[in-house]
Amino acid sequence: MTTATLAPVAVRTRTSWLEWLTTTDHKKIGQLYLVSSLVFFVIGGIQALGIRSQLAAPDMTLVDPETYNEFFTIHGTTMIFLFAMPILSGLANFVVPLQIGAIDMAFPRINALSFWLVPVGGLLIYSSYAAGGAAIGWTGYVPLSTGGAGGQNFGPGLGTGVDLWIMGLTVLGFSSILGAINFLATIFRMRAPGMRMFRLPIFVWTVLVTQSLALFAIPVFTTALVLLFIDRNFTGGAFLNPANGGSAILWQHMFWFFGHPEVYIMILPAMGIISEVVPVFSRKPLFGYHAFVGATIAIGLLAFGVWAHHMFATGLVYLPFFSFLTGAIGVPTGIKFFNWLATMWRGKLRFSTPMLFAIGFLAFFLIGGLDGALLAAVPFDYDVTDTYWVVSHLHYVLFGGTVFAVFAGIYYWFPKMYGRFLDERIGKWHWLLTAIGVNVAFFPQHLLGLEGMPRRIATYSADTPWAPLNLLSTIGAFTIALSVLLFVVNVVVTFRRPLEPVPDDPWDGNTLEWATTSPPPPHNFDRLPPIRSSRPVFDEKYPELAERAASAGAAR
Amino acid sequence: MIALAATSLAVAACSAAYPPAGATDQGRDIHSLYSWILIPAIVIFVLVEGLLVWSVIRYRRRDDDALPPQIEGNRRLEILWTVIPAIVVLAVFGLSMETLGTVDAKSADPAVVVDVAGHQWYWDFRYEKEGIDVSGAGQRPELVLPTGRTIRFNLSSGDVIHSFYMPAFLFKRDVIPGVTNTFEITIDDPGTYAGQCAEFCGLGHADMKYAIRAVSAAEYDAWVAQQQAAPSGSPPTSPSPSAGGSAAPAGATLEVSASTPTSFEQSSLETAAGQAFTIHFTNKEAGVPHNVAIRDSAGDVLAKTEIATGPADASVSVPALGAGTYTFFCQVHPNMQGTLTVK
Repeated sequence: MTTATLAPVAVRTRTSWLEWLTTTDHKKIGQLYLVSSLVFFVIGGIQALGIRSQLAAPDMTLVDPETYNEFFTIHGTTMIFLFAMPILSGLANFVVPLQIGAIDMAFPRINALSFWLVPVGGLLIYSSYAAGGAAIGWTGYVPLSTGGAGGQNFGPGLGTGVDLWIMGLTVLGFSSILGAINFLATIFRMRAPGMRMFRLPIFVWTVLVTQSLALFAIPVFTTALVLLFIDRNFTGGAFLNPANGGSAILWQHMFWFFGHPEVYIMILPAMGIISEVVPVFSRKPLFGYHAFVGATIAIGLLAFGVWAHHMFATGLVYLPFFSFLTGAIGVPTGIKFFNWLATMWRGKLRFSTPMLFAIGFLAFFLIGGLDGALLAAVPFDYDVTDTYWVVSHLHYVLFGGTVFAVFAGIYYWFPKMYGRFLDERIGKWHWLLTAIGVNVAFFPQHLLGLEGMPRRIATYSADTPWAPLNLLSTIGAFTIALSVLLFVVNVVVTFRRPLEPVPDDPWDGNTLEWATTSPPPPHNFDRLPPIRSSRPVFDEKYPELAERAASAGAAR
Repeated sequence: MIALAATSLAVAACSAAYPPAGATDQGRDIHSLYSWILIPAIVIFVLVEGLLVWSVIRYRRRDDDALPPQIEGNRRLEILWTVIPAIVVLAVFGLSMETLGTVDAKSADPAVVVDVAGHQWYWDFRYEKEGIDVSGAGQRPELVLPTGRTIRFNLSSGDVIHSFYMPAFLFKRDVIPGVTNTFEITIDDPGTYAGQCAEFCGLGHADMKYAIRAVSAAEYDAWVAQQQAAPSGSPPTSPSPSAGGSAAPAGATLEVSASTPTSFEQSSLETAAGQAFTIHFTNKEAGVPHNVAIRDSAGDVLAKTEIATGPADASVSVPALGAGTYTFFCQVHPNMQGTLTVK
């Protein structure tokens, strides 16, 4: 193994621009996904700073209302479609073939296409700024987004920019659908001998369920986008526009039929990352593997039965059904929390940066789960839906949850990707600032929601009691910005440092990606250890424990 | 001293964790529901965060390298933490459905029926039985309502989706074109309550405000009688010369017109400094109110026409202005604006 560390270094130095553009290697495509997503993360974050600066004090005129509306539309669109989804696809791209002992994805060229559609979609979405803007919110509610009976727009920021937004999202929809098929084919057909379904690493299970959700949900959204485009651009298009005989509420049903599974598309792989990191840094197996897989599948199924909880205040949905199923999602989510805690219980915890981010996920995603469970109570939802309570909730889920898990995953797999460790000291400061920033930015928004501050307002007057909490939230947002800056510094510092070879298995890991070199050769593995459990690398290191576990498993 | 400060801070933090008490029967029910379901949420929060912190402190790695016991699971524990949360979920669901029954209840014959029309970006109210109109075009309308009587709201929209949000009553309902949404409340506490649109509806979303003034039933009846005695039409705004440009005393007449809520048909106007002039505004858009107002760079409104619901026109005489650049805009649709250059 020691000689093998030299070869990957040679491969890396030879990577030319042309190779990056034409590669079909899942590891390189995974890295391309990461870079593109992080660039969009920064751009989306800059728009968030614009929003938070405008709201720092009452009656501000820093950002005019039209620009403000475009900011929150593109901020939301960016963070969901150009950051959260692609970065999770990127991590999955790099990790899944390695974890199942495969040589690559099932369809490497389609994999490259899936990636390259992302910047194309991103460019289309961002070109809306040059075409009058898209000021419709990431939810694009009809008829604000369709226009009136005669095709006239309901104000500025609703012209050609909206068409570009639609086209961009359609392109991204195709990217996700192709990716979903590719992941499912890879996981079902490319597993190494011995890698049975119930020996799959949990991260692979979560990707499997996620990509199944994507396969069923995203075509519905892409269809809705096409209907919207027809309604906007062709006389006689009357699917959604009530002025022409369409149904405004139909858009909401189609949007949220996609939009709620979408939340799980962004959170299930995050839970998968946590389920890789927590056991490794606790030096214990994941507590309740089968229950965890069951809970993941249950969440995936329930995800399709709760979409209308985004629409309680419309007065047009059957409330008990959606309220009950929404609450029911709390049960499998609770199982997962207890599994993670039981994994840490009586373990030997090492607080390297990946583990710190995983602990942050547990601490803060919990808040986003609980305040979301409260929203399942319909009468309370009547009060706080469309207020800052919801803004707080979704940011605790997507930042406290997904972003923390993404950083846990980046710090965890970085040595495998690049053969270098990210700096631990900067990493810990990065974690601390993020943890402080997230809570200072988003916790006050719960209270603003209870005080009745609606979301998506470009300003508020001084006679409201909202100013102090808004200022606090803005301070938190800039703290987060600082933490992201620290991460960028960390990456730069890491790459400037002279190269020290990283061992195959630097974290004392369990799964197959730690059985090959860091970074792996183009063909991934020179040899695979025997696969007799979900922890083949662990089994090879501790053969006597593996024997015992195998016989216990057979007895069950 | 510190203890006192800490206590008052804790009390403030606790009260901030709750919505307003709810000035209606329905709002009180929602407030009480929230107080109940917050309890399991806090218990779970403390339990999970406590276990997490405990694990982090107690099970941090010390020096030895030996593996901890490799526990794969425990069936009894796993059943326990599936069944108990399921019971909590069921209980919360039962409670919320019970409250929903009272919050969404409708009576056979409400005492007051208010038709609410959401427009970009103002509210119009019509008291159905009393025949009173309160328009919000260009101003923040005040809805006077009696305490202790059942009030029904019928919501409709002529353009995009809005949401009729009453924070003090812990309630909102979406205002959707092509749909008439209905709900009822009974107000308990007299007072003035701010409300505003809660569904993003375009450029003026943040300006779409109104107020509810809740008064005793007797005061309400007196207010109704007074309104019915007053001449019909929109409530009094500042009286200004209307219809036609005949009122123009001297100087030039600037023509402004509009046929969409997006922009005026003129993007810039010009007039001479130190001379009074007249603005004549033609609203060609049927059924939609517009006006023309002039503001200086400090944002002070110097002159404005009446709000004219098209097709209609309106004029205003503008006193002499100093040289400089001003903005003319529609007070109903602040996105409609242009530049007035005075030289």
